[in-house]
Amino acid sequence: MGVFRRAWLTVASEFSWRMPGRPQRLLAAFSLAERGSMMDMLAAVEATTRRDMRRKYFVHALDEGRHAKIFADRVRDFGQAGRADAALEDSGQLLQAGIVGGQTLFERFGEEKFLAFVYVAEADAVEQFNVYLERGLPDDATQATLRTILKDEVFHVAYSRAEVEKLRKEGRAVDKMCRDLRLARVWERYLRFSRDVGSFMSGIWLTILYFVVLAPFRLLARTEPGGWQPAATPGVDRLAAARAEG
Amino acid sequence: MPTYVLGVSALYHDAAVALLCDGVVVAAVQEERFSRLKHDASLPVRSAKWCLDRAGITAAQVDWLVFYEKPLRKFERILTNAVATFPRSYGAFPRQMRAWLGDKLWLRGNLCAAFGVRPERVLFSEHHLSHAASAFYCSPHDEAAILCLDGVGEWATTSLWRGRGSEIEPVAEVRWPHSLGLYYSAITAHLGFAVNEGEFKVMGMAAYGVPRFRAEMDPLLHLEPGGGFSIDMDKFSWHWHASEAGGAKLQAILGPSRFPGTPFTPTAAPHDGSPSEIEECQRYADIAATAQDQIEDAVLHLARHAKAAVGGDAICLAGGVALNSVANHRLAAEGPFADVWVQPAAGDAGGALGAALWVWHSVLGNPRGPALRRADIGRDTPIARSREILEDLGGRPEDVGDSAPERAAEDLAAGRVIGWMNGRCEWGPRALGHRSILADPRQAATRDLVNQRIKYREPFRPFAPSVLAEAADQYFDIPAAASAPVRFMLSTAPVRDAARGQLGAVTHVDGSARVQVVDADSSPDYHRLISRFGELTGVPVVLNTSFNLKGEPVVSTPVDAMASFTRSGLDVLYVDGLRVERPR
Ligand SMILES: [Fe+2]
Ligand SMILES: [Fe+2]
Ligand SMILES: [Fe+2]
Repeated sequence: MGVFRRAWLTVASEFSWRMPGRPQRLLAAFSLAERGSMMDMLAAVEATTRRDMRRKYFVHALDEGRHAKIFADRVRDFGQAGRADAALEDSGQLLQAGIVGGQTLFERFGEEKFLAFVYVAEADAVEQFNVYLERGLPDDATQATLRTILKDEVFHVAYSRAEVEKLRKEGRAVDKMCRDLRLARVWERYLRFSRDVGSFMSGIWLTILYFVVLAPFRLLARTEPGGWQPAATPGVDRLAAARAEG
Repeated sequence: MPTYVLGVSALYHDAAVALLCDGVVVAAVQEERFSRLKHDASLPVRSAKWCLDRAGITAAQVDWLVFYEKPLRKFERILTNAVATFPRSYGAFPRQMRAWLGDKLWLRGNLCAAFGVRPERVLFSEHHLSHAASAFYCSPHDEAAILCLDGVGEWATTSLWRGRGSEIEPVAEVRWPHSLGLYYSAITAHLGFAVNEGEFKVMGMAAYGVPRFRAEMDPLLHLEPGGGFSIDMDKFSWHWHASEAGGAKLQAILGPSRFPGTPFTPTAAPHDGSPSEIEECQRYADIAATAQDQIEDAVLHLARHAKAAVGGDAICLAGGVALNSVANHRLAAEGPFADVWVQPAAGDAGGALGAALWVWHSVLGNPRGPALRRADIGRDTPIARSREILEDLGGRPEDVGDSAPERAAEDLAAGRVIGWMNGRCEWGPRALGHRSILADPRQAATRDLVNQRIKYREPFRPFAPSVLAEAADQYFDIPAAASAPVRFMLSTAPVRDAARGQLGAVTHVDGSARVQVVDADSSPDYHRLISRFGELTGVPVVLNTSFNLKGEPVVSTPVDAMASFTRSGLDVLYVDGLRVERPR
């Protein structure tokens, strides 16, 4: 899988960075992702029962928060203040991009698998950044940014690997855990992609529906006048009325 | 066996839960305080779990779960609207349908699955009824006019009710698409701020301008002789566009919209802008001032109608527009009612509490209970856990126990800016001395420091003062009718001339302040803190802003507090009786 991933990263990096307007978009997406991992790490601080891990997760969270800000500042350098602010501030975007929402990673995985996930995800990030740097993408200033961040990421890989190794010594099947997680990450990416395709397709169908089915009703439509209108008086059986959804 | 009613608001913005035990509020919490996503609208499962745990019950013991609106009626409005705006709404329609067909239409089942209650236990209130109930049942008034003002619910965007004992009776409503809330949001977007978030910034910006665009903007929002209002829908697009509220026609009237994130440097603000930049900013400030002026006039106009139609001495407000503290001040100062009452969570979160109270009083026919006097009805953390967290995160907490308020006051008097976490979270968007950043209010420089080094927010935004109830009159000119809203920081008031020199950090550019009046009964610890600060400095006022960093919800746990403390320039952190100093 490593070879495939690397090949994919190489191709994707050209596409990601060289298209006009893409670097800003990508950096904003990085900022969002970093913010998402800050939130996941803080949720782990909250949820863990291992007191020795709290501090590590916390420091990790602060790193990711700082990265989110660094990436947003870089977007701002491109003169895209709006996008940078959205990346830092608008949590709706985190939900939309599927970065957070529903369960936190810790709730989903429990401590051991969470640690394995951190290791896998951080290692992936390091590899991804290294591919960009090796290919000299996208520009000097952004590369400097990536290098600064990379130092922290290497640390994240190191501490999570150390924890995973401890688990291995305790006889846990960590290799299988990591393998499953890598597959799950690919699978989730596929799911997200197919969801996007699905919503694109449903958008087409709904647009057709809109023009074909709704059009005739246009004649019946009326717009509400402004000003005070009489309000409907409530029925006598309040419980029955309260049960109704409409 | 006590009766438990669980109110839920969700899926639009600001999801929340309120749990009643025999009509008494056990807890009310917003989901964002758990998920850490500002304005999180997802089904508030974590909040519900916390509330049930607090009451010591399971979901099976919940007698009624009530959702704050009628989903099918809302769906009907969306379909009718799609037809009425055909073919312009072709972009919005697929989006809306996806959200509804994917999720919202199957609400009863989803609620049962998410919260673990049986389908026959699930009820549905109405959006504005929930707002109205939240305002009236929480108020101390036995009779009142109730005015709800927001973006939109099912159909209503503004509604008038008559409250009497445990009964709420509808009087009249203004319907979609005519909406004061959406009008203000359209202007918010035009001024380059995020909708549902930047409205407070528009209010802050307005103070830098003069309402010189009334001639251009009054035709957009027309106050009708019948006491209502209408919007010139031809100039707006919120009823048909997928994402825009204003659009080209609005820009033709107001000029180009402000690009998000552009520095705001009007004439009266500290700036280093060029003359043309200053002129442009001044124009935006004047647009903000005009819109704000219009909203205030509209609120007064609607309240006068409420007085004529319903009568009485008191008016209760809810809905997002009721968070406009400047409008509330004018309503109290110039309006026809002797008493104004605003529910602290006036936005959609408050619908959870309103829906639950409506079931208890109106559906189940129970008499009124005591009014809501304190806002700290949210989440808290046992001190042992707080201590453990602070130690584990390297905070080296000092146990100051019961003397925390006095110690905090001494820190403030020594010029330190502190994070103050005390007891349970506040209900509603305002921090009222339980999750607050506090500072010395006397020097204007403190405001800039807190804006730049701690909250990382726009320099033009003002900070609020908290004042001892005993001294409020000496510093602020608070109309008698606003005595309730100022307890929840929901009304501004002019700072008295003689006091302005002493309150440089909390007096806004127009000489007003969004004051919070603190009494010993409802906020004992906070009252002690401010008293001690008064003894030390001669000024019984502190600067109070919500304890959060830009773009994040207000902190709720010690972990959140430590994360904000570490990432900001705060000097000291208090978590209940524990004091943490920034390592040097
Ligand atoms: Fe990172
Ligand atoms: Fe990382
Ligand atoms: Fe509402």
